[in-house]
Amino acid sequence: MPLEVWQEQLRRGSLDLAILLTVASGPRYGLAIIQHLETFTDLVVSEGTIYPILGRLTREGLLDAEWVEDEAPHARKYYRLTRSGAKRLAHMKAEWRAFAGKIGRLMEASERHDDAAQ
Amino acid sequence: MQLSEAGESRVQGYLFVLERSLNTFLPREVVRDAVREIESHLRERVLTATASPNEREAVERILGELGPPLRVAQAYSAERTIDEAVATGRLVPIVRAVGHLASTTIVGFFAALAVLVGYLTAFAFVAIAVLKPIFPDNVGIRYAAGVPVGLGAQFPLPPGEHMGGGYAIIPFALACGLGIFIGTHRGARGFLSWWRNRRVS
Repeated sequence: MPLEVWQEQLRRGSLDLAILLTVASGPRYGLAIIQHLETFTDLVVSEGTIYPILGRLTREGLLDAEWVEDEAPHARKYYRLTRSGAKRLAHMKAEWRAFAGKIGRLMEASERHDDAAQ
Repeated sequence: MQLSEAGESRVQGYLFVLERSLNTFLPREVVRDAVREIESHLRERVLTATASPNEREAVERILGELGPPLRVAQAYSAERTIDEAVATGRLVPIVRAVGHLASTTIVGFFAALAVLVGYLTAFAFVAIAVLKPIFPDNVGIRYAAGVPVGLGAQFPLPPGEHMGGGYAIIPFALACGLGIFIGTHRGARGFLSWWRNRRVS
């Protein structure tokens, strides 16, 4: 598998978690979510493709969406984490930490082996 | 940045193409909501942008960051139709998802062609099994001058030809039809899964 494909799978696999984390602290509208992701990560390659993911997470019941009309010159669609979304996020965070820990230990072991070999 | 008539027209053009693309596979109310959200994104971006070096380039930059409308539509397609098809494995979502890819990509077109041929072949075999008891003399293995020349139904049967295979053709046709149907269905689902994995979010 080419490196780019692997990187893309990694990025895509973590995008749901990143979006749920972004709205965990409070409701945000689409562009605010994108800007938050862009501040902390490079997960957003194309802004327009975040909206379908937000739509899917809403259909799955992990997010609630609501249009707010009177906050700006144009309406904004706010997303907030549902109770089910909060539960899923807690699971995903635990899974991510466990997974990252295992890979981290594996990398350390590999690097120790490399050092010993030299 | 306040949009001029030309800038507004460019934004409306983008939204028009997006709406047309989404209309091909999404319910109308979902399209309306999606386009409204993308428009809200664009208005927000335009509001905070400066016309630097000029309005046209600023608008193109904003639209470029959002992505081409067809690509945005494809992302919706991937999230809705393809995910549903792969997750459920049901016939209608699979056909809908393959149909949508056929209308938007070249690879999708050829995949849809292969899937169509597969399903039609499966249907033809099942049709043979169903028609055989109704038209026993017109359905089966067609022989001309003692040589088998085809399989299927012939109305009317040309002189000098006859249908062979007897009623044993029924389980044979059913098995073939079912096998081809399952193979095609799995192939279509596998293709959609592969497509979903390679898409760029």
